[in-house]
Amino acid sequence: MDTFTQLTLNGLTLGSGYALIALGYSLVYGILKLLNFAHGDVVTVGAFIGFGMLHVLGGSTDPVVPVWLLLVLITTTAMAGCAALGVAIERFAYRPLRDAPRIAPLISALGVSFFLAYSLQLLFGSEQRDYDAFSMADGALFFKGFSIGAVHIPLLRIVIIVSAFALMVVLWFLVNKTRTGKAMKATSFDREAAAMMGIDVDRVIVFAFVLGSALAGAAGVFTALRVPTYPSAGFVVGLKGFTAAVIGGIGSVPGAMAGGLILGLAEAYTQGYVSTKWSDLAVFVILILFMLFRPQGLFGRPDIAKV
Amino acid sequence: MNKRGGVAAALVAIAAAVLASTAGAGSTAADRLQAVDCSGTIKLPLLTPLTGGGGPIGNEQLSWAKYAAKTLGPKLKLKIQIVGGDTPVEKGPGEAQKVAQKFISDSQVAAVLGPATSGGVASASKSLAKAGLLHISPSATDSALAAGPKGKRTASPVAFFRVVGGDYVQGPTDANYMVSKLKAKKVVIVDFQEPYSVGLANAAQAVLKAKGVDVTRLSTSVDTTDYSSLVTKVPNDANVVFFPTQQPEDAQTFGEQLLEQGKRATMFGADGTNNPAAFKLAGSYVSNFAPDISGIPGNAARIAGWKKDNPKASLGSFGPPTYLATQVEMMAIAKACKAGGGSIKNRATVLKYVRGIVVPNSILGGTFRFSKSNNEPVNPKFYIFQIQKNGTYKLVN
Repeated sequence: MDTFTQLTLNGLTLGSGYALIALGYSLVYGILKLLNFAHGDVVTVGAFIGFGMLHVLGGSTDPVVPVWLLLVLITTTAMAGCAALGVAIERFAYRPLRDAPRIAPLISALGVSFFLAYSLQLLFGSEQRDYDAFSMADGALFFKGFSIGAVHIPLLRIVIIVSAFALMVVLWFLVNKTRTGKAMKATSFDREAAAMMGIDVDRVIVFAFVLGSALAGAAGVFTALRVPTYPSAGFVVGLKGFTAAVIGGIGSVPGAMAGGLILGLAEAYTQGYVSTKWSDLAVFVILILFMLFRPQGLFGRPDIAKV
Repeated sequence: MNKRGGVAAALVAIAAAVLASTAGAGSTAADRLQAVDCSGTIKLPLLTPLTGGGGPIGNEQLSWAKYAAKTLGPKLKLKIQIVGGDTPVEKGPGEAQKVAQKFISDSQVAAVLGPATSGGVASASKSLAKAGLLHISPSATDSALAAGPKGKRTASPVAFFRVVGGDYVQGPTDANYMVSKLKAKKVVIVDFQEPYSVGLANAAQAVLKAKGVDVTRLSTSVDTTDYSSLVTKVPNDANVVFFPTQQPEDAQTFGEQLLEQGKRATMFGADGTNNPAAFKLAGSYVSNFAPDISGIPGNAARIAGWKKDNPKASLGSFGPPTYLATQVEMMAIAKACKAGGGSIKNRATVLKYVRGIVVPNSILGGTFRFSKSNNEPVNPKFYIFQIQKNGTYKLVN
């Protein structure tokens, strides 16, 4: 039972990160029908921005602010930086191609992905970088927390899981309960009709990029707080986030959340009960099964062509 | 014959002529490629990870190779240029093969340093040997690469040598320390499904099992960064986790996640994790093929000179064997140049002289020479360090 609890905790930690990334894919796809393959690299940029902020604030062992404030500041800075990056990517890489055939923005997205990864490598080298959260507050983030049976739930994981869910709730509120959110839904449903109804479509699209990229920034920091990061790390996390979005139903906000959690848990249980070697295989087998039997994902709507 | 048939026949004839001329030119080009002028600059490429997780280690090796070329060149009347060939661990062992091809076709290259990793040697050695290129690794330890303890040559061709011992020395050294000093009864071994890691894990496992230790073997890929679920599989009563990886950051992460899950097993890394900047979990152990060279007589001037060239770098365990490998290659090149009257007629000539090279007062201590029966150093040793609270490595065995 303890093993199951521990693996569930591992899966929730992983899955909350995947869910944040999947939300970015879903938001952009929902509105532009574009697979933003640069999204995984935005996650890495977020981790690097957080890393820079951590150093500005004195590093992990001797920060000039309390640890809770340090975590808030590195996360918000990464979110803000990634939001700005998202705006720039939309403005320069996607907007000029908005009316081009669908393959053009897809290629542009791949180009942006390579540009971001290699720019990070050029600027910072390709070494792995570690936030060294273990040294923050003498290891309090790892050793404090509470227990379920024999399983210790460390403070860091609580912070990551709760923050990720809080961000998802905020996003759900923004999309469902605000005028901008309703405008996003309208644009997603029919961009031309939304424009004719007086919705500023450009603004809505930019807002979707701001939200998705900010969540990617948070995901980057949450991941890097636990494991080392490096410039090309975005490829794999991006792929997992995309898979989560597809499983949940690409374009669906609750679907992205569910897809992320399913993926995280599947990965953790496979690693724990089967073998670490098989975890990626399990993830992509799930993807293939969904593509075969429920291509619209858990919460997506099937595409029905009018004949 | 109609017009179309005539054109086809002409094309076939042209193609045959081109193929024939290429074959002839190929052998001439190969000969020309292998002639190295000793009065000019001779290139020694170092195949090592200069970027990625292994980047700090590779750059340490590069700095020592350059220092050796700079200081030993005038004495041996050679103008040596050390060229870095980046083989990031993250790109897999095959990267060494791609980089090696570039150097094989460079006529200024007389020999190669590295590949630094066992996987790199496994992938590139055959091509390098075909080109007659001596390649000496300063850090590849997989037993299968050169020759086992009984002197039997195994996987790699004759052109591969190394200045450090293989895992047939490291594995038992580590395992014996776990049993005799750490009193380990239950050991978890994690391998990374690549030649270096699997070879070393196997070597240690064999000794541990022979000594009656309860061994649990886990396996993961080199791309893994989050080890939480692997750590969950480590039994609570395990005494030691043996973690032979080439990415020291991963050993640090694994150790932290062990503590996070309340597991008290001692982390034990190998030469691949020997990096004080990245693996600094107090109380853990690492092994290495080189001792702390600062205590060896005659090294004070070498260390001072290297520090002058690399003021920001700190003295590690990977650089000194690279200095030694460079020194051995340069001495072999000097002999080949002398025998060839100012030029090396054929790259394979360097190979002819390398086995006879003797380095008195070597940077690793004592006299260095290769064994007469294989391509290994005589009496190789491994050393064990414990990580201290301030992150430094203390020699304990």
